[in-house]
Amino acid sequence: MKFSQFVGQDNAKLGVILNALEPRCGGLLLVGAKGSGKSTLIRLARGIFPVITPFVEIPLNITEDSLLGGIDIEQSMREGRRIFLQGLIPRAAGGILFVDDINLLPQELLAPLMAFNGGGDELQTCPGSVQQLPRDCCVMGTMNPEEGDIQPHYLDRFGLCAVMDELPDCEKRLDVLRIFREMPNFQVESDPSLMAMVATAKKHLPEVKVGTAELENISAVAVRNPSHGHRGELFLFYAARAYAALQGHDRIAQSDIERVSELVFVHRRLHTSEEHSDLPQDEKHRESATDQMSPPEPEKKAQSMDADFSLKPRGSAVTASGAEETMSIGNPFQVRRLSFKKDRLKRHAAGKRSKTHSLGKGGRHVRSTMNSAEQDIAIDATLRACAPYQKSRGREVKLIIERDDWRFRQRERKTGHLVIFAVDGSGSMGARRRMVAAKGAIQSLLTDCYQKRDKVAMIVFRQDCAELVLPPTSSVELASKRLSTLPVGGKTPLAAGLLETFRLIKRFGVRHPETRFLTVLITDGKGNQSITVDSDHREEEQELCKLLSAEPKCDFVVVDTESKDNFIKTDMAVRLAENLGAEYYTVEALRAELLSELIQSKNRD
Amino acid sequence: MNFPFVAIVGQEELKTALMLNVVDPGIGGLLIAGEKGTAKSTAVRALADLLPEQTVVHECRFYCDPEGELCSLCRERIEQSELETSRKKMKVVELPLGITEDRLIGTLDIEHALKHGEKRFEPGLLADANRNFLYVDEVNLLEDHIIDLLLDSAAMGINTVEREGISFTHPARFILVGSMNPEEGELRPQLLDRFGLSVGVTGLHDKTQRMAVLQRKAAFDENPAAFCARWENEQNALRQRIVNARDGLPHIEVTDPVLEKIVAITAAMHLDGHRPDIVMMKAARALTALRGQKSIGNQEIHDAAIFALPHRQKRLPFEERGGREKLLKVLEDCLG
Repeated sequence: MKFSQFVGQDNAKLGVILNALEPRCGGLLLVGAKGSGKSTLIRLARGIFPVITPFVEIPLNITEDSLLGGIDIEQSMREGRRIFLQGLIPRAAGGILFVDDINLLPQELLAPLMAFNGGGDELQTCPGSVQQLPRDCCVMGTMNPEEGDIQPHYLDRFGLCAVMDELPDCEKRLDVLRIFREMPNFQVESDPSLMAMVATAKKHLPEVKVGTAELENISAVAVRNPSHGHRGELFLFYAARAYAALQGHDRIAQSDIERVSELVFVHRRLHTSEEHSDLPQDEKHRESATDQMSPPEPEKKAQSMDADFSLKPRGSAVTASGAEETMSIGNPFQVRRLSFKKDRLKRHAAGKRSKTHSLGKGGRHVRSTMNSAEQDIAIDATLRACAPYQKSRGREVKLIIERDDWRFRQRERKTGHLVIFAVDGSGSMGARRRMVAAKGAIQSLLTDCYQKRDKVAMIVFRQDCAELVLPPTSSVELASKRLSTLPVGGKTPLAAGLLETFRLIKRFGVRHPETRFLTVLITDGKGNQSITVDSDHREEEQELCKLLSAEPKCDFVVVDTESKDNFIKTDMAVRLAENLGAEYYTVEALRAELLSELIQSKNRD
Repeated sequence: MNFPFVAIVGQEELKTALMLNVVDPGIGGLLIAGEKGTAKSTAVRALADLLPEQTVVHECRFYCDPEGELCSLCRERIEQSELETSRKKMKVVELPLGITEDRLIGTLDIEHALKHGEKRFEPGLLADANRNFLYVDEVNLLEDHIIDLLLDSAAMGINTVEREGISFTHPARFILVGSMNPEEGELRPQLLDRFGLSVGVTGLHDKTQRMAVLQRKAAFDENPAAFCARWENEQNALRQRIVNARDGLPHIEVTDPVLEKIVAITAAMHLDGHRPDIVMMKAARALTALRGQKSIGNQEIHDAAIFALPHRQKRLPFEERGGREKLLKVLEDCLG
């Protein structure tokens, strides 16, 4: 199959071609649902590069030394001196590094990979070995956002990003099917005509003129797409110039810039109002009322693409109380530590709170020990242990390693604690300014998370849908900022809130399998909006509670915001807590609990 | 080839703070906090080309200062004969996030052990970093056990290795420069306090400046050598200014009135410990030297406070804004 035979996905294809033409475009990230042809497209890209171009695939199970280079054990053993093995990154000089499902790559590996994409050029991999990293190589990655996120600062280092379109029309689907009929065995074929086109454009590239006017146009487009820092502009410049060369233009036309700007900014555009923190306060408020619920771009994509669980607002829905207001934060107070009770996973405690020594072979090798139940031998440490004795043991060719020399790997992996705040932002929360008290409670819980260095995420459900207003972050400050601008109003889509929580737990759990979750639901429990039009919201809620409570490693706390001095109280939240197997508190009880705890602990001392 | 330091557009606070650390390495490093893509790493890497030479023990792997703390090897050597010295340029050593303990503090030299049956120390990154800059990008993402080791060495100024049957000590006085994007998580307070100065960096908003960034970066990518050549004169001038400042530093007197002003400021800010006072004094003196002045003026004290105090200000977890205003107010009250 040839690259040009690939049906549709013009943006993604353009991204590949631009990178083939000008590696400074900064690589390409393809975002799309499963089976949308992401990996196929990148494999096909091989056909438009000259044969000698290295094309290095990085498997997810790769170890750090294979990625960056390390000691060649076999050669070292044989020769009795250290021989270095070249890593995969240095081998990709002048070519393509392809990482399928890059969002699943462990973070410690993503760091060096993307650092180098940012232009770092030297890397010390082991003592005594400095590897020169190539500058002219591009990282192409794919990700399915259902499976987990990629951190924004790594995302920012990708020059281009394309979101795979769904192919709704039958004609194109047929085209795809026909290709598979013709070619049952997928094989990458070289695509000479496209290759020639790229070669011509490459030759033309230095002739494309860039004057002040062009730079001004680029700046103007960048200003329209606000993003952090200057990377966006730089990549826009290179991409636009490459595109102009491809079009045979003599200078960068406005249309060239417009054509590539989506590729450059789709993953770095800012959406939330908090980022413009220099706006005057009142303007900020106005903006936050309309705009602040939008999550960052990748998340949004995640939702729209997630066909099974689509939560698109329904057009027919009428909001119960149209008015929206933003409540201030009530006085924070000290709260009792909400505990992680259930722990069905086997783990050893390691002294430091957020770390456990991992069983099995996952995690980072932190140090070597002389004893281990895992029998995971640390070869480098073992070699070091036996080395001094080789002379006295009479080594001739092979190393003589005795049982005492064995060293084992001790690995560590962060077991994050993620605290998810699922906040009811419906109109009923606005009544009697209950939101003020609820925000005070959340603020207090956030303070606690800050002190314990937990990660936090925040989901708000109101009007027609639930939204992840804060993706998991360890910046509690950011959470606090989001909290202060949280508006209330509309119906209570409790079921949607539960579903969003469930999806977040699933998605985050894939990336960070040892994470323990604590979901704090802040609501009065009076759901009145279902996810799908025809079903009953109560049934949906119960189903979701069942799903959620079946998740291992998850604890739930329900904070009831209903005011209990009212004689028509419904205690719906109590039922919700029962369904979830959650601890139940009223806002007032959170405070009271703390007091009694304090007194108890004082008496003990 | 690095992007020339003088060609970096704007970011004056960042550039000054970096240079202050060259003028007086005792200031204790710099924390750069800012959003992504704002030339944080570029500036630190570019600094390497401006660094001056310093006197080291000849052929010492640890760049020992002949008049300071010595490594185990130099201590053995000095018993036999006088130490020879030579000049060596300071450098920027980068600490990768995924570094292991072995690579950081050093370990057994396996090759030597195999060949000669002797245990010998193989230096790690901390050896390279002695009397040099140690740069950690995304310092807030550094693994905890690595931070522990860094803090340990930073506190003592010495790296003591006791592992795999090796005993070795060498000086490890590095100038720690860290960059971070605060959105990704906060820094451990203990590590935070280790940084002498801090600056916040944001993207440039001025249109002409943004254009200049684009133009210069594109020109650099196109032909790094030619671009650097174009800036060489300015680079040289800055190099000379730094050398002059280093030479002038010991001659700048820190008078009692200056000390009184510094203490008045830190007292009004209710800061813990004495490190803020000391860092502020050093920074004010280095600023004076860098500006080619003879005596420390109010402006230098003011600017030094802006560099040295913000990350030490006591604040509640979420108290974010208002901190700087308070500092400015105190400065105005104390300096008039």
